[in-house]
Amino acid sequence: MEICRGPYSHLISLLLILLFRSESAGHPAGKRPCKMQAFRIWDTNQKTFYLRNNQLIAGYLQGPNTKLEEKIDMVPIDFRNVFLGIHGGKLCLSCVKSGDDTKLQLEEVNITDLNKNKEEDKRFTFIRSETGPTTSFESLACPGWFLCTTLEADHPVSLTNTPKEPCTVTKFYFQEDQ
Amino acid sequence: MFILLVLVTGVSAFTTPAVVHTGRVSESPVTSEKHPVLGDDCWFRGRDFKSELRLEGEPVVLRCPLVPHSDTSSSSRSLLTWSKSDSSQLIPGDEPRMWVKDDTLWVLPAVQQDSGTYICTFRNASHCEQMSLELKVFKNTEASFPLVSYLQISALSSTGLLVCPDLKEFISSRTDGKIQWYKGSILLDKGNKKFLSAGDPTRLLISNTSMGDAGYYRCVMTFTYEGKEYNITRNIELRVKGITTEPIPVIISPLETIPASLGSRLIVPCKVFLGTGTSSNTIVWWMANSTFISVAYPRGRVTEGLHHQYSENDENYVEVSLIFDPVTKEDLNTDFKCVATNPRSFQSLHTTVKEVSSTFSWGIALAPLSLIILVVGAIWIRRRCKRQAGKTYGLTKLPTDNQDFPSSPNQIKEMK
Repeated sequence: MEICRGPYSHLISLLLILLFRSESAGHPAGKRPCKMQAFRIWDTNQKTFYLRNNQLIAGYLQGPNTKLEEKIDMVPIDFRNVFLGIHGGKLCLSCVKSGDDTKLQLEEVNITDLNKNKEEDKRFTFIRSETGPTTSFESLACPGWFLCTTLEADHPVSLTNTPKEPCTVTKFYFQEDQ
Repeated sequence: MFILLVLVTGVSAFTTPAVVHTGRVSESPVTSEKHPVLGDDCWFRGRDFKSELRLEGEPVVLRCPLVPHSDTSSSSRSLLTWSKSDSSQLIPGDEPRMWVKDDTLWVLPAVQQDSGTYICTFRNASHCEQMSLELKVFKNTEASFPLVSYLQISALSSTGLLVCPDLKEFISSRTDGKIQWYKGSILLDKGNKKFLSAGDPTRLLISNTSMGDAGYYRCVMTFTYEGKEYNITRNIELRVKGITTEPIPVIISPLETIPASLGSRLIVPCKVFLGTGTSSNTIVWWMANSTFISVAYPRGRVTEGLHHQYSENDENYVEVSLIFDPVTKEDLNTDFKCVATNPRSFQSLHTTVKEVSSTFSWGIALAPLSLIILVVGAIWIRRRCKRQAGKTYGLTKLPTDNQDFPSSPNQIKEMK
């Protein structure tokens, strides 16, 4: 502690004060409750989501693997539109079109920084609709494209524009995590 | 010195969670981190976090996570090799229980000694990638079942569905294979009305799911290989979830307009009534012109207060304040909205900030002043009248002093 009494002590305390100031300034945002809610998601075939090579996969998780389950973080925009993310809203789901290709992407943006009025954030918006106990998610930027899984396990979660096909699952149980 | 010590402790307390946080975030991309290992120029893409948990004596299939499922071209298969992390020898080697088929490694039957880390290497002309995956083979006893069980969920009072998972490699078509379902150790036979496995044997339907249906299930498939029968067991833990009844939130304040004066601090609470039930998952927040407050005011001139949930006479409320520090002209043209949402509903209430008009404020200032003038004026007039009355009607004073008129005490008071 003797070092603190040296000529740099003022500098250190100034630095600490600055740190504290910035901390206190950031405090309301940090402690403020999130508009984000975490949901457990599983498809109608009991498949849950997990990450593999930065890709969202739907499959069956057993034993200690169940801790890999990705919960969906949701920020509602209005009565039907939502932003979806994982990892505490740090990775967000989006629909990106390039040529004829329509892809589901995971992008490193903070879900609470997304703005529904910004055109560039439209790709993160999903239309949440409920039919009975299940929920489906249609991309707002890619109309007609729904979040889906395949019947087989351990395939990537993707988007489909043929939701009625028997090999795709677009209905999910979406229950808030308690 | 003491202050400095406190500061240091404080700072470390503040910074520690941030470090933990970054640690967590960086955990996920580990799988994609590319760093060369094992001497050659092959890129190790990390460990597959999902391990394979199987039972002794049963067939096991390990699938290389590097090969996409859609990629069935024969060229990709031929370039896939397997090894175990504790040996440099390629698998299967001379092990008759193991063989490679397409992008999978078969082990039949598995023994506990097969447990360990397996590495699959995918190589073509341009690049080489490796990934490792974990296999754990447990003793085939009931005690192992919870350790290897899959978690599945059904909603109370609905038709539940159990899926016998990870059988793809053993079933060539959906209706193939003989599968028997057990609840605990009881075989669920065909005549059972509660549990139905019709058509697809990998699925078990549970009619009108009740809390009693929760627990451990087992599906056992019979798999024949080279004339020998093997069992493939999958254990499932079924959880039954009750349907949560969420209240419909009612936003009871603020009003449509909020009076404020420019340059001053303003706190506008949004109070939401949540009914009388148990705690709710309702979240409440503010928006400015349909943008989150933290986004609309990055400098923090306008912020949201804490999420305050409380009960008053068994009635639940949530309150979140919008804090202006200070109110500026820009706020007068902004549409502020308080939003309350839960899985059952979405409620919002718009409000605008109105500048307190100058005439109104003058009115407030003038009101007590005019009252004082009025009172002073009244006293003055009264005294003047009194003096005149004393002069002219001095005699009338006498009867009132006798208290002949108790019914009109005001008058008496006045006359005194």
